[in-house]
Amino acid sequence: MDGETEYVFDCPACGESLEVNGSMRDALLEKGCVVCGSSLTPEAFTKTTSTEST
Amino acid sequence: MSLGPQTELSREETDAFLGERETGVLSLALDNEPYAVPVSYGYDAGARKFYLRLVSTPESEKRRFLASTPQARLVVYEEEGDVYRSVVVVGRLEEIARDELTVEHVEQYGEAKRPLFEIWGQAKRDLDIKLYQLVPEQVTGRRIAVDRGDDAPKS
Ligand SMILES: [Zn+2]
Repeated sequence: MDGETEYVFDCPACGESLEVNGSMRDALLEKGCVVCGSSLTPEAFTKTTSTEST
Repeated sequence: MSLGPQTELSREETDAFLGERETGVLSLALDNEPYAVPVSYGYDAGARKFYLRLVSTPESEKRRFLASTPQARLVVYEEEGDVYRSVVVVGRLEEIARDELTVEHVEQYGEAKRPLFEIWGQAKRDLDIKLYQLVPEQVTGRRIAVDRGDDAPKS
């Protein structure tokens, strides 16, 4: 079963790095970095894994 | 100048006031030492919680006070024409760990977007930005009308 798509969020402004899921990514893109308030673009997110084989 | 009657704000008025304002003065204490700093905040009226970003550097006073006690007061006030309104919040300051962050937090901090006082003079990378929620134990709102036409000296 596919896990939820996960991303690594790297804020280009403050350097914060967080593992986030899709809904967090959407919220961050809409509201800006939760830590520093900077606006974000999709480049701040890197897809990590959506297929965990266990 | 004379003061008109002071009235207490209702819960609805208090929430509306806190929602439309976005800055206040946060006070902390360490033993007998007070500490106060202007902050911007986001306010969730439903949960009655405040969301704050507090910035410190290793040598800053703020860090010392933040480490000491979670007890805090937040004062938000506004003078508009002849009406002066203020809200005093007494509560606990709780740090939100990065791995506890939720979509809801992102939305609330989105509302607290303007870091008016936390001037980003330094690169943001060099700052230690911590996220806090202030959970009120007591919220008191007041309104006072000031009559400025009555400035004659009184005996
Ligand atoms: Zn950031």
